[in-house]
Amino acid sequence: MLAQIESLSAASSSGVLLDLSAVVMLLCAFACLGSKLFDRYVTYYALQSIVLAFAAAVVGHALGQPDLWVLAVATLLIKGIAIPLATRRFLLDRLELHRDVAISTGLSTSLILGAALTAFAFLAIRPATLPHALVASAVVPISTAIILLGGLCMVVRRHTIAQLIGWLILENGVFLGAITLTATFPFIVEAGIFLDLVAAVLIMITFVSGLANRLATASSPELRGLRH
Amino acid sequence: MTALVLLVPALPLLAAFAPLAGVRARGLGIAIAAGGVGALACAIAVAVDVGRHGAYSAFSGFLYVDALSTFFTITIALVVTLAGVGSIAFLRTEERRSELDLLQLRLYTIFFALFAGLMLASLETGNLGLLWVLIEASTLASAVLVGLEAKARSLEAAWKYIIISSFGVTMALVATLFLYYAATPLLLSPNQRLTWPALFAHAHLLQHDSLRLAFLLSVIGYGTKVGLAPMHTWLPDAHSEAPSPASAMLSAALLNTGMYAIIRFQAIALPELGRYTNRVLLVFGFASIVIGALFMVRRGNFKRLFAYSSVEHMGIISVALGFGGLLGVYGALLHTLNHAIGKCVLFLTSGELVQRWRTRESRDVSGALTAVPLVGGVLLLGSLAIVGSPPFGLFLSEFTIIRAGFRGSSLLTFLLLALLVIAFIAFVRSTAAMATGEPHAVDEETTARMSPASAIPLVAGMAALLLLGLWIPGGLNELILHSIGAIR
Repeated sequence: MLAQIESLSAASSSGVLLDLSAVVMLLCAFACLGSKLFDRYVTYYALQSIVLAFAAAVVGHALGQPDLWVLAVATLLIKGIAIPLATRRFLLDRLELHRDVAISTGLSTSLILGAALTAFAFLAIRPATLPHALVASAVVPISTAIILLGGLCMVVRRHTIAQLIGWLILENGVFLGAITLTATFPFIVEAGIFLDLVAAVLIMITFVSGLANRLATASSPELRGLRH
Repeated sequence: MTALVLLVPALPLLAAFAPLAGVRARGLGIAIAAGGVGALACAIAVAVDVGRHGAYSAFSGFLYVDALSTFFTITIALVVTLAGVGSIAFLRTEERRSELDLLQLRLYTIFFALFAGLMLASLETGNLGLLWVLIEASTLASAVLVGLEAKARSLEAAWKYIIISSFGVTMALVATLFLYYAATPLLLSPNQRLTWPALFAHAHLLQHDSLRLAFLLSVIGYGTKVGLAPMHTWLPDAHSEAPSPASAMLSAALLNTGMYAIIRFQAIALPELGRYTNRVLLVFGFASIVIGALFMVRRGNFKRLFAYSSVEHMGIISVALGFGGLLGVYGALLHTLNHAIGKCVLFLTSGELVQRWRTRESRDVSGALTAVPLVGGVLLLGSLAIVGSPPFGLFLSEFTIIRAGFRGSSLLTFLLLALLVIAFIAFVRSTAAMATGEPHAVDEETTARMSPASAIPLVAGMAALLLLGLWIPGGLNELILHSIGAIR
């Protein structure tokens, strides 16, 4: 197993491809953070998921793990196609949402914050944290950065859909970390995680559209009404 | 044995099929309650067997039951039973007043069953990945219950709940990944690297930095579910907007499931990280007690009051785990059981109050003792019990925790005592005013006779609390001691 994982080191071609996919995914997260249009959020998320599926396939190929191929296909179909499609049809089109105005910090400020978080991720996840230099070295810090950027999206955006996309980006970061750090995760667990994600998105979409029916705009300032 | 263990989550799940039988509110409620009773009976049978033959494992660790799991299974099955019986009366009243339509009643049954079944299942797995999957799934099921009334307020609360806890639980997934990674130096199969008994047996060999990250993230992640401050913000909204039996389940069962996961992670981290784990739990615990106690001072929505009291009690349990030692963990487990029963009774009482007075504001309710003596009495006694006054169970468990504290740091223990006093005054001030005084705004709906289904869980719960305050049964004592043995 160790020898297999070493084939993923930065020098090998699979390692390079993996690093490259990770960088593209990070850029997608930044693009989402720097955008103001709901449609773009969904597009960048879809693109990021497709790259994630590619990364899973690369790892699956390098390590000869058939279940990672299954995961790659599932990622492509569900995260790359189904979730973006459902978000567009059931939320963006039906609620006629275009521009996100419920942003608490300016775009440039959030981009600078994002850059700072990325730097922090690289500082925090030094190679020393990782027992062996097993994986393509940049992937783990980058996936940490994507997780932090997803979190940032959820914090600076007040609109429920933006928060949903932020969470999905965060989840993609976790998956990127998962396929490289723990390529051998038991399949049943991975399948369960995936199932939970799908159920969560379905329920969230239902809530958001239900909320939007009752409020003109479903953004979290209205949620303040709940405070006593 | 495998069949018996699987029956514990399966029986409540069966209730999800009750809507197919075409029954109405009464039948749906009875199905839920029957599932709870069955689960409780099976959980006790499993506990007896585990007590005799030790931990039981099957399907390469995906099914794993030791004393700690059986302790939590019994606690949660008990809550499911009480809340299930409470659901019978709740659903009938909602049906009679057409507050919920038939579809909503059916959804309530299905998701209540899923919620209960998934929570019980999560306690019976040794695989930390599957534990995560089941806890997240039970969160999703409960989110539907929170948003069930489909009013703007309840949907908002449900959204807040689902997005904050999904975020938190995702952190717990990262924690699981890092733990898996920390086990890389061990020569274990991939599956065993996620299996709790294997990790626990090799805990001192785990990679230090990854383990530390894993533990910290698990406390933050599962702590979001537990309602530890500052990740507790979803909790008051969700508890106040959910139907009352579901609030009881959230507060008395779901929070404990999260705490169970934290206890498992701490057990793995303790040999390598030592006192660090205790300090982390103390910090989050005290933060929660402070937040809970301060927000209870304000009089307002009484379901929120109970919710903040849950934050406080989860803080107390976390502090007890932080004090550590035999006495600390004993107190934490005993307090888990006592709080679960007490809070379940209080939330069911709140359901009666909401249905009778049609308000959630504490100032609009008064004279409950005169108007409906049983509800008022349980409200008053239940409040006294939950703030830890003798002769109820919580007094005993808080006393144990304080004794554990004095063995370590007396300064922290005095701080804990001071906070408990604040919580006591704040909580009882609100509820005593609701129970006593002259009833006003009363109609025949308010003073309607209690049906047996709504009276039984209240009386049974209070009786159990009183019993636990006077005497800890030998079997329970043994179970708690075995639970501590399983994680040390």
